Amino acid sequence: MTLSAGLSYASTWQAIMDIVARVTALRGDAPQPVVLSSLPELPPQELGGRTISVVQGPPGRNISLAIGLKAALPDVPLLLVMNADGITLGTNHLIHAARRNIGITVLLLRSDVTQQADQHLDRMRWEVLGFQSALETTATPLEWAMALQAALVGRGTLEEPDDLAGLISQAFDTPGFSLIGVTYASHLEMGVLSRTDYPEFFDSYRRWSASFRDLSDTAPKGMGTTVTPKTDIRRYEVRIVGLGGHGVKVAGTVLSEAAGIGEGLWATQRGEYGSATRGGLSMVDVVFGCERVSYPGADQPDLLVALSQNAIKLYGHTVKRGGYLVADPDQVDVLPEGALPVPIVRIAREITDSPITAGVVSLGCVAALSGMVSLEAIKEAVVKKVPVKVREKNIAALEAGYQASRQVI
Amino acid sequence: MPTPAFMHGNQAVAEGAIAAGCRFYAGYPITPSSEIAEILSERLPQVGGVFIQMEDEIASMAAIVGASLGGLKTATATSGPGFSLMQENLGFAVISEIPCVVINVQRVGPSTGLPTRAAQGDVMQARWGTHGDHPIIVLSPSSVQECFDLTVRAFNLAERFRTPVVLLSDAIVSALREKLVIPDAADIAIFNRTQPTVAPDDYKPYEFLHGDVAPLPRFGDGYRFHVTGLVHTELGYPTEDAEIISRWWEHMSSKIEDNLDVILDWEEIELDDAEVALVAYGGTARSAMHAVSLAREQGIKLGMIKIRTLWPFPEQVIRNLAGRVGTIIVPELNFGQIRLEVERLVAGRAAVRGINRADGIQISPEHILDVVRGLERVP
Repeated sequence: MTLSAGLSYASTWQAIMDIVARVTALRGDAPQPVVLSSLPELPPQELGGRTISVVQGPPGRNISLAIGLKAALPDVPLLLVMNADGITLGTNHLIHAARRNIGITVLLLRSDVTQQADQHLDRMRWEVLGFQSALETTATPLEWAMALQAALVGRGTLEEPDDLAGLISQAFDTPGFSLIGVTYASHLEMGVLSRTDYPEFFDSYRRWSASFRDLSDTAPKGMGTTVTPKTDIRRYEVRIVGLGGHGVKVAGTVLSEAAGIGEGLWATQRGEYGSATRGGLSMVDVVFGCERVSYPGADQPDLLVALSQNAIKLYGHTVKRGGYLVADPDQVDVLPEGALPVPIVRIAREITDSPITAGVVSLGCVAALSGMVSLEAIKEAVVKKVPVKVREKNIAALEAGYQASRQVI
Repeated sequence: MPTPAFMHGNQAVAEGAIAAGCRFYAGYPITPSSEIAEILSERLPQVGGVFIQMEDEIASMAAIVGASLGGLKTATATSGPGFSLMQENLGFAVISEIPCVVINVQRVGPSTGLPTRAAQGDVMQARWGTHGDHPIIVLSPSSVQECFDLTVRAFNLAERFRTPVVLLSDAIVSALREKLVIPDAADIAIFNRTQPTVAPDDYKPYEFLHGDVAPLPRFGDGYRFHVTGLVHTELGYPTEDAEIISRWWEHMSSKIEDNLDVILDWEEIELDDAEVALVAYGGTARSAMHAVSLAREQGIKLGMIKIRTLWPFPEQVIRNLAGRVGTIIVPELNFGQIRLEVERLVAGRAAVRGINRADGIQISPEHILDVVRGLERVP
């Protein structure tokens, strides 16, 4: 690689090392740049010795790697030296880095520099050489970067290495994403081609997030105090089966926390049902007891609350011997033998004009029948889990369900 | 005081990451892992960390490698389709020995599969997903408590052995809400990567230590070195010298293989007098544990091994098991990825059976029990 100015570089790496040395000299005491490149040649150890830090990362992906590095090293200038990989594998990452305005400087070597093409390429065009039939049009990455409002877009040539170093130094001093094209085609306009003033991504992020640190609550949410369980029952399964709009999932959330935190039991709320929920049913399984819960499914419930005929049909027979089946007499065609009739949906409608509290009414049944989770513990969980404006109605629904259940025992 | 808390598995993973010292997360949301990103987007700013949503999982994986090189503890979370995209840069983290944690909440695959349904089909991908021979550590939580504990452990192992660690969760555990106990911060063991004490000129970033790793300083901070995806010398420069490469391989494999006592993690349940043993992991282990309880109530001598470190596989544990029970049953939400490992290790010394499904439905305790009861009828 011989230059008209008399400089010659044995390899692209040697050119990079020389340019970085010039940039470093220019910048005095400023932090030395870290270089990221995926040039295919092996970087000769003797060239750099241990004078610079280099990441020879995956082609194209180096841009994203640099984004992470920038997050960790806000004050270290990052210089990405890319050739065709920047506009093939890397285009997606390049566009996003520019859009976010990440503070990295990309040096895009045109194919004439990496000796992969002749100097016939015109204007700002880049050519990606491939095998025959690689029918891609030539690329115009500097125009892309301008369209993306990159903080700085410029062009330099290895024939004027000090000018190029100066341009890179300007890019380092510009907050945000910079793209510099490097070519031998010296008839083109060199230097800064465009600028956009916009805050650097991580800098903005830090300023934005500083306010959250004042609010910092490093303790996990949903905390409670240690309560000693008052039961020696190892496992108690509750399944509530309703329809969409019955508020069944919220009821599960309230009940599991009432058991787990309020009563000090081990408790689970199953989150995944596969196709166990069929026929438009909405279902929740809560399992609790004095021992850690193994399987979180209520496949053989101690207490089943059924709010539809389909629920009875699918799960009525699964109730454990000695367990309770609570059925809403208004919602089922035939009340199964032994079922406790509680008009859960009607109670919900009376209190909230909609069936949305049916799940919470059902928890009144659990409080009355399980002997494991008290009405008070459920109330406390309702207060924690239900929005303030509907809290009172939910408490009323809970109490109504409790009273109605006690009447039918 | 240790604090009882109530949360779902994904939240416990996020809180475990914060507790372990994770301060950078890059990811692209995907069901059923999205809550991890959602929660960390709120929690990381509170502790001075950085959350960034990337354009895809390729970029996410690259970004956490970069940030880790810059000295931060880093993680990303995804599910099958994203995990496939991460394999390229996961390999870069392996070869450049950069610590990071990759959380994969498994759903049914391949491709888009069943996005909201649980599976355990990425067990072999977690082991061999990136190309080439390579060491890796994969942990599998089966409870919300383990989501917290194993996430902390994943960070510790990543830092200790300068390797990516995969936390292989699944959609059963991730969506399960459950009580857990969060230890006091002072009682959570945290490992931070060691820092070099030698002069920069004497520092070997990739020293070929047997069963150990070199310290890793913050990049661009005094210690200058070369990081590459090419096979390299102790100084990090690319090499094609077969003698050096052979020493490099020896280092790469021994840093895991010589530390199995630290890395392996399993639990034996009701195994003392067991005639039949289950080998289970992840969400399926919960069904297996309940099947053991039900079996014992019925006088059936069933025990189990719950595996928490899936890779490296607890080979000696399974070899020993073969001498203790007549039959080993491996229930899993795939078509036998761990069963084949078990068969390989048992080598005919016990009967091995799988219970397998990958249709998005969990294996129930009754299903397992039916298979155990059925064994008596099998000649």
